[in-house]
Amino acid sequence: MKVARITALAFLVVVSAACLFADFVAPAPYARQFRDVPDAAPSHQHLLGTDSLGRDRFSRVLYGTRVSLLLAPAAALLASILAALIGGTAGFVGGWLERCVMAATDLFLSLPWLFLLITVRALLPLNTAPFTSVLITFALLGCLGWAAAARVICADARTFCQSDFILRARASGSGGFRLLWRHIVPNLKPVLYAQFWIAVPVFILAEANLGALGLGVAEPLPSWGSLLRELESFSPLSSQPWQFVPLVLLIAVVSCFHLAMKKQELSV
Amino acid sequence: MPELLMNAQPVLSLRLSASYPGRPAVLRDLALDVRPREILGLVGQSGCGKSTMALAILKLLFLKGGKMSGSIQFNGRDLLPLKEKEMRGLRGKEIALVSQSPISSLNPALRIRTQMEEAWNIHRRTTREECTRAVLGALESVSLPADETFLRQYPAQLSVGQAQRVLIAMAVLHRPPLLIADEPTSALDIIIQSEVLELFSSLSRKLGMSILYISHDLLSVAKISHRVAVMSQGEIVECRKTAELFTNPLHAYTRKLIAALPVAPAFSSGETLVYPEHATMIAGAELKTPNLTM
Repeated sequence: MKVARITALAFLVVVSAACLFADFVAPAPYARQFRDVPDAAPSHQHLLGTDSLGRDRFSRVLYGTRVSLLLAPAAALLASILAALIGGTAGFVGGWLERCVMAATDLFLSLPWLFLLITVRALLPLNTAPFTSVLITFALLGCLGWAAAARVICADARTFCQSDFILRARASGSGGFRLLWRHIVPNLKPVLYAQFWIAVPVFILAEANLGALGLGVAEPLPSWGSLLRELESFSPLSSQPWQFVPLVLLIAVVSCFHLAMKKQELSV
Repeated sequence: MPELLMNAQPVLSLRLSASYPGRPAVLRDLALDVRPREILGLVGQSGCGKSTMALAILKLLFLKGGKMSGSIQFNGRDLLPLKEKEMRGLRGKEIALVSQSPISSLNPALRIRTQMEEAWNIHRRTTREECTRAVLGALESVSLPADETFLRQYPAQLSVGQAQRVLIAMAVLHRPPLLIADEPTSALDIIIQSEVLELFSSLSRKLGMSILYISHDLLSVAKISHRVAVMSQGEIVECRKTAELFTNPLHAYTRKLIAALPVAPAFSSGETLVYPEHATMIAGAELKTPNLTM
């Protein structure tokens, strides 16, 4: 298991490094069109061939991976912070506030998440600049993805509030925000950490889903979602298996995220 | 204990009633005085309201959903009308608590240094050096190693005895006039128990602190207390000097408690044992009933 974890981590490091330094690694800019060679097969010049507009597919995979790999953790961080604030405060304060917040969370959780995501995204402006679309997509993921984590954190915060060490801290004169920040939050860190790592692959997949529906990151900026949209046209696939590379990479990265997590992190 | 202090104005004077939802009259017009520099033992069976009283003095009963009425006179000031913010200023600084579960009473996610510094910084705004000096001083006063290696440890790395000493060190950090020890030795083995009891005695002498020592263990109470109060069903049924209480108990419940004290069996050579292998274990052992007079 340890070998699998190290291998997964190594794979993630290599992929992250390749996309972070995409400006140096990629043979061409992601939007540059080689109009004389559209739908080209892999060659020395274009390692994964070109798409229907003549853009280098390898470069687009690198830049697309960068978008997904950078912004999915950012969205997961936003969701974890929201979950900590909402769930932590509700669990700490308790009483009617906890009941109201948890009722709202349950309502949120009962809605089909992907459907909610698609609906809210469709309500927001679609015709935006690529960079704005990236921000909107991942901010949306972060803002809508806190509920499950908030429930776990609320339950944990409630348990900690009733613990002996919190009673001792209160008896020492601690209280209010100080009690929450200095005594409860340090104990919530492992749970938050686990929730963060669980959210990253979920958000990568959610962005890919949105992108495949045309609601994700706007062209010409690539993301895994927009790269997967190419798979919508089935007919030429048998002759161009390299089009599956973004899908294979997506599956490999998401699997590696799960393998890289410790067993106890997954069980939280 | 000097006679002068016995007649001094009490540090703490209680007239308390308390209840929980579905459990009325957990404390029933309980009356108790703790005098300056006195160690007052409070005994009673489990569930008689001892820990409720400890929480009530600190006005923390609301955490368990409890309500209370009466008066808590602390150094001539009634604590009952005080607001939560004012109480926070008193907790830990004027009235400290040592609880019964040493390991679970320490925050598992924080190092000992962080917890002790936090206990100091709640009430004092000082430089880091002054804070460190106070922390190290408190550790020394409870005979713990006052070094960086110890301070860097997490509670899970400590023994139960060490954890209890850390709790005591945190409690005496601000040299409070009153320390409430709520069954502090119940989780300790007999040797550590004896050391901790000795520690309470010496701290009371050195720091001039009053201690309300709560326990269901009559022997440990007898060992360190100047006076002993006996509690039954939320009331103090008897409160007298330790020697008087043990030699001439007045209340029937006190007599029952004293009669229930364990007496070590005396073995003489030649006595037949049920399990012969025990003979080797106890050979030569001279067991005596503890001397209860002080």
